[in-house]
Amino acid sequence: MEIELRNVWHSYDGFTYALKDINLNFKKPGLYIVVGPNGAGKTTLLKIVSLILKPSQGFVLVNNKDFWKLKEDEKTVIRRDIVFVHDKPILLRGTVKYNIEIGLTIRNAYNTATLNYYVNKYGLEEILNRSSHKLSAGQAKIVSIVRALVLNPYVLILDEPFTFLDETRQNLLLEEIKNRVKENKITIVATHYMYKELVETSNNIIEIISGKIKYST
Amino acid sequence: MVESLLSVTMRSLYVSSASSLIAFVVAIALSFYITRMGKRIVEMVTGIFEALVGVPTTAIGLVVYMLLYPGGPLGPLRILYTPYAIIFGEFFVALPVAFTFMIRHVHSAREYVRELVLSLGGLEKQVAAFLLRELTPVLLSSYLLAFSRAIGELGVALIAGGGIEGYTNVLTTAIAIQTSIGNYEYAIYLGLILILITVAIVLSLKILGEYIIWR
Repeated sequence: MEIELRNVWHSYDGFTYALKDINLNFKKPGLYIVVGPNGAGKTTLLKIVSLILKPSQGFVLVNNKDFWKLKEDEKTVIRRDIVFVHDKPILLRGTVKYNIEIGLTIRNAYNTATLNYYVNKYGLEEILNRSSHKLSAGQAKIVSIVRALVLNPYVLILDEPFTFLDETRQNLLLEEIKNRVKENKITIVATHYMYKELVETSNNIIEIISGKIKYST
Repeated sequence: MVESLLSVTMRSLYVSSASSLIAFVVAIALSFYITRMGKRIVEMVTGIFEALVGVPTTAIGLVVYMLLYPGGPLGPLRILYTPYAIIFGEFFVALPVAFTFMIRHVHSAREYVRELVLSLGGLEKQVAAFLLRELTPVLLSSYLLAFSRAIGELGVALIAGGGIEGYTNVLTTAIAIQTSIGNYEYAIYLGLILILITVAIVLSLKILGEYIIWR
């Protein structure tokens, strides 16, 4: 899968632009790191790459086709290869187990083995039946990450994934990202802090400031 | 001889449940539809419904009477002074209450639920099901508000229903009529029943929502 942004602009209010004339491509497998200060437009950029936000102007090409002009069923097929994990975890009302299974339920692709593997790996066994509203910020974050990992997507997009995580889980996630690079998958990580291990794994660093690409390798 | 308390109470429950249920379903459909049309439309429609919440039920009753009287546009339905007239009228009493309570919740939740469903590979048409589940406690509360408003109103029940004993007499009309003829003891019993019903239903559904549904 190849994703390309061509002359992308985005405004939420019609007056100010969160993204200004973005030209990027995510064609080669590997790790892409998007860096920039708070409010630079990282989250907006990731949402557009995740194909859940339509840009105000410009084109999002997936395999050289304009994604937003495709039919709904074609869009869904493409979206199933991409999973986006929000900066602020979105957990629905229900237990942790319910939340982790949402993606599998949506896709009608229940996979107990994968589910158990990630639940055990990230130490979520004891909180599986806990209400999602009673989790700490770190627990909520890891639940939202595990919910994405169980889907094993070709493109995984993580917005500030290390925030709130303890060191053990940060290392587990770093290891996960490295494994994905070895498996020739695309992983896009937005972060305001350049983790040494992350930078060493990536050949693609994109710096965004005030909605504009300042630097891209 | 006055009608039994049970008979009036059951009729009241039937009429108010039916009208608030219809209003509730319409409010859900309307709010789900409106929230797809952008923030400005949501604000505008919400403003109109907020204004409608304050309209006196006697005014609504008058409008309903004019619609349903034999020479009115809905006269051929021949439902004036029947329980259906009260259900019809109380629908307009309950709808703005149910709608204004749920619309803001639907609007804010729709955004994040939609993003989540799409980001996990879901379809646009799957969003509504997750949204309904996510908002169950809110929807339950909005139904309760609509029911409380319907069972406690007098204007529509009196003007469109007529308070006919054994046919369209509901708790509020019975209280008004019995008080006017000096049958205070009976009116007090009816008043107590009305208060008990409202408090019991609201409390039980709140408890249900708090401990069972809101998990």
